[in-house]
Amino acid sequence: MQRAAYGQSPPLHHPVPQHVSTVPQLRSPPPPTSQPQGYDGSPYTQQQQHQQPGPQGQAPGGNFFGQYGNFVNDPAAQIAQQFGQQAFRQGTALLEQNVNRFVNVSALKHYFNVTNSYVVNKLFLVLFPWRHKPWTRRQGGGAAPGVAGGSPEAWYFLPPRDDINSPDMYIPVMSVVTYIFVRTLIAGLQGKFQPELFGSIAATALVVVILEIMGLKLGCYLLNISERSQLLDLVAYSGYKFVGVIVTIAISEIVNGGKGTGGWVGWSLFVYTFLANSLFLMRSLKYVLLPENNEQNRGPMQTMHPIDSRAKRSQRTQFLFGYSYIVQAFLMWILCRA
Amino acid sequence: MSILGKILYVTVLLLNSIVVLSQDRFLARINFTPATHRRSFGDSADDGVKAKMIQLVASVRTLMKIPLVIVNILMAIYELVLG
Repeated sequence: MQRAAYGQSPPLHHPVPQHVSTVPQLRSPPPPTSQPQGYDGSPYTQQQQHQQPGPQGQAPGGNFFGQYGNFVNDPAAQIAQQFGQQAFRQGTALLEQNVNRFVNVSALKHYFNVTNSYVVNKLFLVLFPWRHKPWTRRQGGGAAPGVAGGSPEAWYFLPPRDDINSPDMYIPVMSVVTYIFVRTLIAGLQGKFQPELFGSIAATALVVVILEIMGLKLGCYLLNISERSQLLDLVAYSGYKFVGVIVTIAISEIVNGGKGTGGWVGWSLFVYTFLANSLFLMRSLKYVLLPENNEQNRGPMQTMHPIDSRAKRSQRTQFLFGYSYIVQAFLMWILCRA
Repeated sequence: MSILGKILYVTVLLLNSIVVLSQDRFLARINFTPATHRRSFGDSADDGVKAKMIQLVASVRTLMKIPLVIVNILMAIYELVLG
């Protein structure tokens, strides 16, 4: 037995496996029952090794690897293994520390918290938004900000998993990537493929998104719209137009061999998806760009607000309309050009 | 990546156009400066669109004069010397 070569091990006091692993035992013959008493069998040894380092000179891998040799029983290999795990842990800690300074990872995680049914329903909603009734985002936690007595920091929007109206980043990211691939695929089918096409199409998509966000921010600044919504929400909403663009390009490529906006099939598809996307945006952004009425009525200057709020509301409605329809038409046309 | 170069050119040209405007010969004549545009009430939270645009123009001019000088010099060197 290999265990005798390492001498006596010190008495083990309740070695509790801190990391419960559900990795199944990866060998076909049944595990031999001559396990050492005091701790569990081989699946836990790999995790237990780096949590209780040192005095366990046992032979953890003897039953585990079987005929593959006993390289983990070698003390040099064990030291190397622990060193590697420690280095890996330090590397990931360093990476997390640096990435968290640039990008808000927890906020991003909220946007990717989607389910399959949510994705399917949301795609259907983007392409057919006319029958959907409540467009408000549901909130959890404390009371909503419009209700008196609720603390404004305790509420949060429900993640996309629980709320069909919540914007997510999964669909926009996937649709941007699909858009790039579909355009290059069509270019390849037409015999016009070149590798720089990936870069130029990606740059076009990026420029469209950035232009749109800048225009939206400029409009919000000029109209004194308070930015309660996050930047990522607006990025997510601007990514939904790629779904309609992909549908237009793909179907018009299938139907006629020409460009996306050639012939009346392409144009009718473009107009339909543009209208659907614009309605979707108008209904969704109504709660982002136009502040709710109950917020304004709580201010101390209650007499002045109803007077100028009418003009401002009409301005904001016009801005929302112009943004949803005119700007989107222009941007979608840019994206649909072959 | 020529499209990013074009974006950079367009941005620099647009910012140049805002910064280059003469303050006393042009902007004051059409009352587009913070000094000559009198707001109806002093609260800055209820400004209209024109007041916000005036503020935007004034702040762009204040902030981007010096960096734009540097960027223009670099672009001139790039265009003339490096082709």
